[in-house]
Amino acid sequence: MKETNDFREKMAISNAINSFYAGRTSRRTMLKTLGAAGVGFSAAGMMGSSRRTMAAPMRAVEAAQPDDVTAWLKDVGGQFKGTTIKVVSEETPPSRAIINLKKDLFEDITGITVDWEVVPLDQVLAKVSQDAAAQLGANDIYYFDQAWVGRFINDTFDPRELLSSKPDLAFPNYNIDDFLEPLVKHIATYGDKMIGFPCDVPIAMYFYRQDIYDEMGLKPATTMEEYMANAKAINDAMAGSGTYGTVGQMKSGHYALECDMTIYLWSHGGSVYTADGQCSLNDAAAITGVDYMRELQQYMPAAVTSYDWGGQFTAIQQGQGGQVITWGEDFPGWDDPVSSKVSGLMTPAPLPANAAQRKPEEAGFEEIPDLGHQGGSTYCLSKYSKVADAAWVFLQWATSSNTQTLASVIGGGASPMRQSTFDDPRVKEMEVVGAGTTRHFPLMLETIQNRMGTEPHLPQWPLIATDIIAVELGKLTTGGYASTQEGMDNIKKLVDEASKQ
Amino acid sequence: MENPDSSAEQFPTILPPPVAGSLPTRTGVARERAWPWLLPMVFLLLAIGIYPLIFNIWNSFREFNPMKGRVEPVGLENWQRLFTDPRAFDSIKTTFIYVLSALIIEFILGLAIAALLNSGPWGSGLWQSMLILPMVVPPTVAAVMFKVLENPDYGPLSYYLMKMGITSMQEPLLGGNGKYAMQAVLIPDIWQWTPFFILILLAGMKALPTEPLEAAKVDGANAWQSFFGVTLPMLRPMIAVAVLFRLVDLIKVFDYIYVLTSGGPGTKTEVLSYYDYQRNFATIEWGYGSVLGLVILVIAIVVANVYVKVFKVQW
Repeated sequence: MKETNDFREKMAISNAINSFYAGRTSRRTMLKTLGAAGVGFSAAGMMGSSRRTMAAPMRAVEAAQPDDVTAWLKDVGGQFKGTTIKVVSEETPPSRAIINLKKDLFEDITGITVDWEVVPLDQVLAKVSQDAAAQLGANDIYYFDQAWVGRFINDTFDPRELLSSKPDLAFPNYNIDDFLEPLVKHIATYGDKMIGFPCDVPIAMYFYRQDIYDEMGLKPATTMEEYMANAKAINDAMAGSGTYGTVGQMKSGHYALECDMTIYLWSHGGSVYTADGQCSLNDAAAITGVDYMRELQQYMPAAVTSYDWGGQFTAIQQGQGGQVITWGEDFPGWDDPVSSKVSGLMTPAPLPANAAQRKPEEAGFEEIPDLGHQGGSTYCLSKYSKVADAAWVFLQWATSSNTQTLASVIGGGASPMRQSTFDDPRVKEMEVVGAGTTRHFPLMLETIQNRMGTEPHLPQWPLIATDIIAVELGKLTTGGYASTQEGMDNIKKLVDEASKQ
Repeated sequence: MENPDSSAEQFPTILPPPVAGSLPTRTGVARERAWPWLLPMVFLLLAIGIYPLIFNIWNSFREFNPMKGRVEPVGLENWQRLFTDPRAFDSIKTTFIYVLSALIIEFILGLAIAALLNSGPWGSGLWQSMLILPMVVPPTVAAVMFKVLENPDYGPLSYYLMKMGITSMQEPLLGGNGKYAMQAVLIPDIWQWTPFFILILLAGMKALPTEPLEAAKVDGANAWQSFFGVTLPMLRPMIAVAVLFRLVDLIKVFDYIYVLTSGGPGTKTEVLSYYDYQRNFATIEWGYGSVLGLVILVIAIVVANVYVKVFKVQW
């Protein structure tokens, strides 16, 4: 393979970080090496095409796989030697981590080839839809956003059934109960059926600039009012020098905008649907929430209406925001001294209390209104796979406790799905400032367990979220409607029409 | 002159006698015998050109049902929807605004720069070579490049536009209320495709006969009069070709919109091809997506034919 500059840069970065963690070089030497290679990563971050920016560089890790797992892979996986399985996913931190790990820890041992295709989220949806419609089994393992679970409920195997019906292929001590219960329930389950294993949970967390808060005498917000007041104070003091009160992901027509809206909707007592299945995006609570978002927008850079999650990530990384409520998976990238101006300066804090909150039973379609919006996803085994057994072996390995832990510690921001990963000493060791930090994990666990918000699950949701809500909100946030009420009335009308179809 | 009959006798295996009832071609091979040689290309054309078109037409009468995970026949539903979909009409309107703006600006700039280069300024050869560079950049890459250049916080283009008082931090090129969203997507298009006009028109100018220009000069015409009265009319065939190529290409514009604005804010820059893409990939409405794809095809054919008729394009 031809060595490109980019390849050499990445190798230099990987070697420098490994040497540092192994105690062979000083922090200064590591930073010097990383600085020399830093341009490539900064430039890559501007693309922002991936759902969550691939923020922190990957670390090469020792092939630390338990002996019983290696033996199982040889014995059970080895039966399928020569088989090729196909996976289609978005480029997210856990996907990238498993792609990096699979050769040494899976393919070389089993002889199974994993052909992993990484495409933008909308194309994942298109590919899975084509596969499901034609039932050809073009892909064996699908990556599903939590918003799609209702749509593909009949196109995947229930992993609990497979674990019991295929004991000869069962991973040693897989322990499905180790997955965090809220993730299984709200990301990987629709009705009574589990559609796959949770693999990723970007979840809304509160981060603030410790240096700015200290300098201005601000305290982490405990209420939404305080959060707004902090944003205003920072913006008033520092917007002139390029640091705004906060940043958003408000690109018109982009799913990111819908995600931001629900954060403020849910934290002000609103929900997308009421229990009778009617859209409630124009009720008083929803208007309060959306008005809150629009007020907050005044304390953001004007360019936020062109930022998706990638744009927002870069803006914080470049020091444009004093605080933000956004995806926890972005945090390790901000802590990366190679490409970030705010390494060690961003600090996670508990989410502010909701100003009001609608109970889940008062909302519709399994919607859970709470500030900690989750955008989780699952790996699912296709019902149409022609090599389902080999794919099942891979799926179990990829979502097993050890692989998940390795995915979290090699950097890149992969969030744990299992309690054992949160508790693993290797994860705890990484709770330090730097690329691939895990120092936000304790608060992430707290958010998953107590503050997680989940979007409605209905088959039309991908269309409603992106094509209606994000487009019309885009008009609203750029002055396309005379008032919030007018815009939200129109959104309600369109959402109700789409929901009925 | 040699008798054709004696020639046939001389090369009997190469030039077989014509089949009765068919017209001999220049080489003496009957038209019917050309078919075996054409068949591979005909199959290729059918496979990559005709089949997708027929499939698209067929698909426009079906739709993906997300509840069942299957594509089902829906009759004329998708076509009826087209006529009641305000977003489709808005996107057609936006497409025409985009096409006309880009075409006019690129043509005028291209013509002016070609005339300048034709006058033989210093380094004109170098400039001509460099003009090819924007065109070899993939449009998506150009769009990403301009996304950086137009960023209101660190983009140099945005910086200078603000310095000149054209845009502001509140209303930047990208972002804000989207006042300049259309301009933001037009800029990379103009940067990338103006050289296309320059190169074609420059080649045309260089190929023009010099006598009419010399005659105009003798008659006392100044440079402007020569250019508009002699050069421009003689360039008509080249202009026609260049405009037609760009016209058809612009109707399909997608990359700049996708990367820079995703059709927003709201639907301000949502052109038909982007709207079609959204139906096919974001909302998985393949049937309606096929309808919109066919609409793009029809628009391209109609516009191109109208252009040829109205401007009396002669090939």
